[in-house]
Amino acid sequence: MTSSVPISVPKKEFRVKLLDFIVLQFAVGWELIGQVIVMLFQTLRYIFTGQVDLEETVRQAYMIGVKSFIVVAITALFTGFAMSLQIARELVLFGADTAIGGVVSLALVREIGPITAGVIVAGRVGSSIAAELTTMMITEQIDALKVMRIDPVQFLVVPRFVAAFCMMPVLSIYAMAVGLIAGIWIAQVAANVPPSTFLDSVKQTILDRDFVVHFTKSWINATIVVMFSCAVGLNTRGGAEDVGIATTRTIVWTMTMIFIFNYVVTSLTYAPR
Amino acid sequence: MAQSNHDAEGFRNEPGQSAERGKAMISVRDLHKSFGHQEVLKGISFEVYAGETLGIIGPSGCGKSTILKLLCGLLIPDSGSVTLGSDRYGLVFQGSALLNSLSVTENLRLPLRSSKMSKEDENAKIAQTLKLVGLEDFRNAFPGNLSGGQQKRTSFARAIVNDPQIILYDEPTTGLDPVMSTVIEDYMITLETKLHAASIVVTHQYSTWTKTAHRIILMHAGKIVWEGRPEEAVVSENPFMKQFAHATREGPMLAGTV
Repeated sequence: MTSSVPISVPKKEFRVKLLDFIVLQFAVGWELIGQVIVMLFQTLRYIFTGQVDLEETVRQAYMIGVKSFIVVAITALFTGFAMSLQIARELVLFGADTAIGGVVSLALVREIGPITAGVIVAGRVGSSIAAELTTMMITEQIDALKVMRIDPVQFLVVPRFVAAFCMMPVLSIYAMAVGLIAGIWIAQVAANVPPSTFLDSVKQTILDRDFVVHFTKSWINATIVVMFSCAVGLNTRGGAEDVGIATTRTIVWTMTMIFIFNYVVTSLTYAPR
Repeated sequence: MAQSNHDAEGFRNEPGQSAERGKAMISVRDLHKSFGHQEVLKGISFEVYAGETLGIIGPSGCGKSTILKLLCGLLIPDSGSVTLGSDRYGLVFQGSALLNSLSVTENLRLPLRSSKMSKEDENAKIAQTLKLVGLEDFRNAFPGNLSGGQQKRTSFARAIVNDPQIILYDEPTTGLDPVMSTVIEDYMITLETKLHAASIVVTHQYSTWTKTAHRIILMHAGKIVWEGRPEEAVVSENPFMKQFAHATREGPMLAGTV
């Protein structure tokens, strides 16, 4: 027979510990943001002075961009299916079938395309960069670079940043196109709207400004993913356990920042005045 | 070739007459370093001359590797000074620290990035260095496909490809089998003789410091507790040196104080 003893934590002690935890988390968070800002300036300095390893940049573009194509396609396809189905269902009720294309494309260009590509790249590439750089820190590879007078920012961060900056808009447009194809199919099957009507609605609705916002969000997402994953990776020390912690930390920070900055850009460009 | 500089008992002969030595290639003066509240180095001073190998020995955690990191700028000392007679130096890391995403050749190309060598000259230099360490057939291999000994030799090759005047070794034979340890020790002697470099080898492997070092310092709890030649070390009556050289439990080292 077992007896249970109630565990009681004094309220005051619990409050102090909670306060300590919150203060520590804030401090760690601000430290990371500081590291990201410093690293971003260092990276831009190398780019503007032409110190970019093109061969490595192309390799990273392949790793970040080309290898993400399939997973971005699958995600965008099913997001497009679900969203189009919801939109078609509601618009048919109001007899506005011909507006399905416009509404679907607006959502895809302004929000779904950049967000889908950003989240997929954050999950697939950001975590991989953080794990790789943390492992390099732990196994003294970063120290070896410093001994050889090679700046890890120039050698590791710059090619990844340039590659992500080039590939993220491509992935976003690609996600948007795949989502649009899903929309065309759903519109025809679920609402009996022919593709030509769907595309006419798209043309009438989408403005040039929407693409400017689309690319702006893509570039911001690329910056967030590479800078946060590299900052976490290059500032982690310890052992195997820390690789996992760094990866999780990267995912949490990049996802959160992508959604925050997505809202900031949307509010600056589309908020009613 | 590597054995010709040794006496009948296997210890190294003097590196050269003192008149040939000139100024020190490595000069460390009253070095202090702490991590948080833990003082790791408590006033370390020594000098190393061209063509000389200094062995830094001592139990784990006594601050040996910290000295190497301070020498090559990976750490900043709290006080004291480090002066290097040349900016051409190489460090052989304990875990090799090869970049896994790069081939052996690409790893060796890294130290040459800052040189003004043409691509052809770089390739020739890399091929020559790989031949020196017996890895000419592995130039396109990746570190993950090499054995521990081959990785260590690649790490050597990377450290010497730009003809350094100073070579630093961090536990070069730890974790290797006795045969591979002997091979690595012979390489160390060959490289030092060929390049006439000033070398520091941080180790606690008996065979490595007795075979490769001209002079050794024994560290304990952040201080130098004995200094001399390897053949003097093995017969020393200094309680620290005696305990370390004979690997016994009896002595001051387990007490943790100096």
